[in-house]
Amino acid sequence: MTELERSWTRIGWMSFAVIIVVSSLLGFVVLSRYQPNDEPLDVWGAICRGLGISFDKAASGGAQPALSIPTELAWTQATIDQIRAGSAERGQQIAAACDACHGGSAPNPGHLIPTLDGMNAAALFKQLADYRSGKRLWSVMNGMAQALSVQDSADVAVYFASRAGRLQVDPDQRVPPGGHGLRQSDTGARLALAGDQKRGIAPCSACHGPGGYKTGAPALSGQYAEYIERQLGSFAQGIRHNDIYEQMRAIARQLTPDEMHAVAAFYGAQDEKLARNEQSLAGR
Amino acid sequence: MYNSSRLALYHFWVAFAVFLPAVILGVWQMLMRSPLPAPFDDPNTYYASVTLHGTVMAYVVTTFFAMGFGYAVTATSLGRPVQGITAAWIGFAICLVGTLMAAAAVLSGNSSVLYTFYPPLLGSAWYYTGATLLIGGSMIWVVLMIVNMMAWKRDNPGKPVPLAMFATAATAVLWAWSASGVEVEMIGIVLPRAYGWTVQMDAGLARTLFSVTLHSIVYFWLMPAYIAFYTLVPQAAGGRLYSDTMGRLTFVMFILFATPVGVHHLFADPEIGVGFKFIQSFLTFLVALPTLLTVFSTCASLEIAGRHRGGKGLLGWIWALPWEEPMVLAVGLSLVMLAFGGGGGLINMAYDMNLMIHNTSWVTAHFHLIFGGAVVIMYFAIAYEMWPRITGKPLLSKRLARWQLWLWFIGMFVTTVPWHITGLMGEPRRVAIFDYSDPLLAPMVPLVVLSVIGAFILLASAILLITVLVRSQLGDTVLQAPLRYALAVNPPIKVPKALNGFALWNVLLLMFMIVEYGYPIGQFFVLRSSVPVYEVAPQPTALGVR
Repeated sequence: MTELERSWTRIGWMSFAVIIVVSSLLGFVVLSRYQPNDEPLDVWGAICRGLGISFDKAASGGAQPALSIPTELAWTQATIDQIRAGSAERGQQIAAACDACHGGSAPNPGHLIPTLDGMNAAALFKQLADYRSGKRLWSVMNGMAQALSVQDSADVAVYFASRAGRLQVDPDQRVPPGGHGLRQSDTGARLALAGDQKRGIAPCSACHGPGGYKTGAPALSGQYAEYIERQLGSFAQGIRHNDIYEQMRAIARQLTPDEMHAVAAFYGAQDEKLARNEQSLAGR
Repeated sequence: MYNSSRLALYHFWVAFAVFLPAVILGVWQMLMRSPLPAPFDDPNTYYASVTLHGTVMAYVVTTFFAMGFGYAVTATSLGRPVQGITAAWIGFAICLVGTLMAAAAVLSGNSSVLYTFYPPLLGSAWYYTGATLLIGGSMIWVVLMIVNMMAWKRDNPGKPVPLAMFATAATAVLWAWSASGVEVEMIGIVLPRAYGWTVQMDAGLARTLFSVTLHSIVYFWLMPAYIAFYTLVPQAAGGRLYSDTMGRLTFVMFILFATPVGVHHLFADPEIGVGFKFIQSFLTFLVALPTLLTVFSTCASLEIAGRHRGGKGLLGWIWALPWEEPMVLAVGLSLVMLAFGGGGGLINMAYDMNLMIHNTSWVTAHFHLIFGGAVVIMYFAIAYEMWPRITGKPLLSKRLARWQLWLWFIGMFVTTVPWHITGLMGEPRRVAIFDYSDPLLAPMVPLVVLSVIGAFILLASAILLITVLVRSQLGDTVLQAPLRYALAVNPPIKVPKALNGFALWNVLLLMFMIVEYGYPIGQFFVLRSSVPVYEVAPQPTALGVR
């Protein structure tokens, strides 16, 4: 190897070492030390922070708010496997008891009892779990759910999901009818399809359809308007509080009573509402 | 061009055939985001379109163009046929099949995951398989470039590899390192989940692996432009290359610094510690060095040409340059865009300033100006230079080509300058609809409309490009001067081994990768942070279970 060759190799390795040492010292020892509102960390703490390992040295002294858990169910793969293991045939036998109130011909004068035919299995399973653990309160349902095992809940959830009825769940319909939600003239349709960016309200349809469905969120198209409106009111007042991360409470608190009514009416009578909106859009 | 003509031509055809539709999608996306009425007014179509536009522009156009250019350079710079021509055609076929699979999956609406994939979003297995095939197929090209260079070195012991070939092989080495991240992500994490062999996905690990590719792929895109800067521009300007060594050093530095810097795309991600974010930010600044070298060297080469043509005085040589040549015009326009785009890039790569513009349209504006502008305009110039040599038919016409380049330049500035500003005002990117009646958004309206006008200028330019290429293709065959590469002022007679091959730099890069990525990737095997996926495809909602 000539002197020239050796010098290239030496320059290469020297540069590598200098770059790594200088940048590591700056990144792990100097810059990682400083924190916005606290004393600088010691060197060991700074290195850990630089690596992405953080730990509190002592518990906070102030009083902690009481721990509140909205539900005992989490959307882990185990939960999803439990629901997938549900059997519609077994569910049908259990559902005989449900039909007394939730069945199509059951007396339901105020429409305060939700229809369940076609409801997403995951949504049903979660509500049964919450009724069983007392995270959602409604005396009749608490008693009913406590009588069901986890397997029974999965069976009955899968059975209702397979039954056709009022709820319109169209998996292929990814697009809100009428295009841009922002241009909907009806308050309910606009909130449902576009939400309200200024108040941080996400579109209902992103989770409840039409268009998008998220695990655990019930499909709403075709649900009774009176039931939806009452649930929105309960979330807003904190009477119902089994929503993970307070998603529904945060939204419902922002809605006026008129808006709750409009959104409920939009979902409750979806077909004709949407048809009317499409007409108004076409005439635009 | 020996046996590479048809090979290069087919690659260029694919690159430009998908280019025009992708530009049309881009224009439609601009329209969709604007307050102006857009056809197919629907957010889901927008996200599918973003995915297709990004995938086509970032993977298909660039990969096919770089491969075609590489084959042409291999034959012409080494002055002998390309070895392994059958393997090259097999690679072409694999890439084409992959492209079609991915495009079909996106068009069916099942894969709106954007070109960055974004796990735990999950699209159709076809899409990922297609992307994996496209990138995997290009590895055949990587091997062929290196094999051809090594075979030439064996037959010409002690002689310096021609700069054009050295740079092309450097591109291949860089692309192999770069693509390793996305290939490991696809094969190790995404594809097993897409085919249902696993149930969860480690989003943090997948994103970290993708970051290996995310920035270095940019340098893979711009290497053809830089090769043109060093080897074609001085020749077209009628001068000589200022320094051959500077060229070699530039490409070697790209190999070294392009890859271990990807974490700067994860500044806002929680899975990487601040120390690694800083180190990689630090290294990102070093990637600016080869670009500064190149700008200096290119300007010096142009000055040599200008003075040779009789230019006098401090700046008089600029006017003496043959601006009627598309290649010379393109390099002038490219350097202007590079200056502005590179300046904006300094904001992106700085750890703290990045937070101001993270995920805003500033980022989109930045990479459109620097890649869509500075780099792609050189693709056009290379195509204009190559087309007559490959097809044996003269360019019809140089005047139209100049119009095309000017329109692209103007269109790109009209599009991206307002886009940068709306980004600073806080406009998020990759969002389909905005409520412009909001007092926060209302001031953006004139800027957004201006951007849309720019997009239409770009569309006009793209149509002109295809017109020129197709017209030339259909013209009469005339004997063409062979492709010549620029001679250096001091032609290399003997170069050190380090600048005639890549062994030292590969070892150094391996060391950089171990230090920079060893812990950030390794930590996930301890953390075990897999999560359930969220599928893009329409779901069987009756069960409501994923």
